Amino acid sequence: MAVSDNPEQEKQAEELSHRWLEYAVPLLSFGGALLAFIILVTSIPLDFRISILGCVLASWVLAYLAWIRPRKDIVALTTPLYSFIFIAIPTDVFSSMVLEVLYAASLTILLVRLKYRFGTTASMAYRLKELAAPLKTYVARTSGSCQGISPESGHCAAVIFVRFAEGNYGEAARESGTAAGQLEGAGTSSCLTRAFKIVREHAALLDKSLPRPQTFLTFSPEDADLLAKPVSDSVEKDPEFYSTLDNALLLLFSAAWNTSEKDRTHLLACEAFAQKLMSPA
Amino acid sequence: MKIGNVEVKVSIVAIAVFVIFTIFLIVASLSSPEVRSQLIWLVPALFMLLVIPTALNYMSRSQYANIAPVYEAEAKTVRIKLINESMIGKPVRIEGVVERVYYQWMNRPQYLIADRSGSISVKMFTSPDEDVKVNDIVEVFGQVIHRYMITGDPVINCVLIRKIKKS
Repeated sequence: MAVSDNPEQEKQAEELSHRWLEYAVPLLSFGGALLAFIILVTSIPLDFRISILGCVLASWVLAYLAWIRPRKDIVALTTPLYSFIFIAIPTDVFSSMVLEVLYAASLTILLVRLKYRFGTTASMAYRLKELAAPLKTYVARTSGSCQGISPESGHCAAVIFVRFAEGNYGEAARESGTAAGQLEGAGTSSCLTRAFKIVREHAALLDKSLPRPQTFLTFSPEDADLLAKPVSDSVEKDPEFYSTLDNALLLLFSAAWNTSEKDRTHLLACEAFAQKLMSPA
Repeated sequence: MKIGNVEVKVSIVAIAVFVIFTIFLIVASLSSPEVRSQLIWLVPALFMLLVIPTALNYMSRSQYANIAPVYEAEAKTVRIKLINESMIGKPVRIEGVVERVYYQWMNRPQYLIADRSGSISVKMFTSPDEDVKVNDIVEVFGQVIHRYMITGDPVINCVLIRKIKKS
């Protein structure tokens, strides 16, 4: 499918097609049961088993709707399997009709459950190279401050963020140390340099499974506007230590997103992790 | 029951199946002479209902006991929040409070472990060494996997779970 020039328009079109698919589940399944009823009362020369196809198709549609959601519903995903069991059982037209009505009702309940318990469909964000809120808002808020960052530094930030997300902490520590050194060597002592240093410190600790040190790197108060989360003013050191890491990683994400467009695909693959970092805990 | 160094636990399901089929067999052999003539293989088959789950439990627990030291050496201690889909296949160690315990009666326990940064499902495909209950503070060694093998949110395939402080 060609991606249109207007992402918003394409997003709306996809939402519309998903809505039609949602309508298709009860329509197809109850439609099949209705067909079985018509065959039963009118005695038209049609094999009643054709009515089962309504439930089979509805099951596949429901499974597709479950598949495209970020959180998978195993019950909805396995409904095509049950629909085949449905076909395999030989029965008469009346039993088949009753079974189809019950099955259609079950599919409709599963559809409602899918919509309300398993969230909306995965947005087109990945394909359209678009972030979801609240990360999108943060990245947009900090885009102005990222203008002075070179694409090379942006690329380094992307690599380090991805390495950290993958749990390759040794590599993330080495690369963030190198990136911080390069920025300092070029005479730049920015918030980004500090973020690299903070990530290096945390990654090195994580690589060796070491606990929080007594003293650790933090952002300076004038960097507060660039941070995603407010700095904890608690007496406890742990919240401050961990929120500093979250802020540093999110700053790297924002710098990478705003300055290194070629890395956006990799960053989108780690978006769920970045969104998790945005959460208050 | 202990076989060698391995503490073997038979699930309540296996015992229930054994009891039900024993009752069936007794009733059938009392009412039918044909069944009585087949007891020579029916009784061993009945005992296999207990022997097979016991053997499987022994094998899985001895395997887990062998790989646990590897995980203890290689797993990185992380906060639950840092576990994400990009870490699939990585050995990790987490510490947290047990918020829920499911399926313990099947010898396939699943725990919901939480720390201050979030919570995560921890699945174990054999019975644990220790009896872990809700509110216990535990450390978990395991590998990050998808909830449904190829898809789903990241969960931990637990190799070792043990209490680190009494609740």
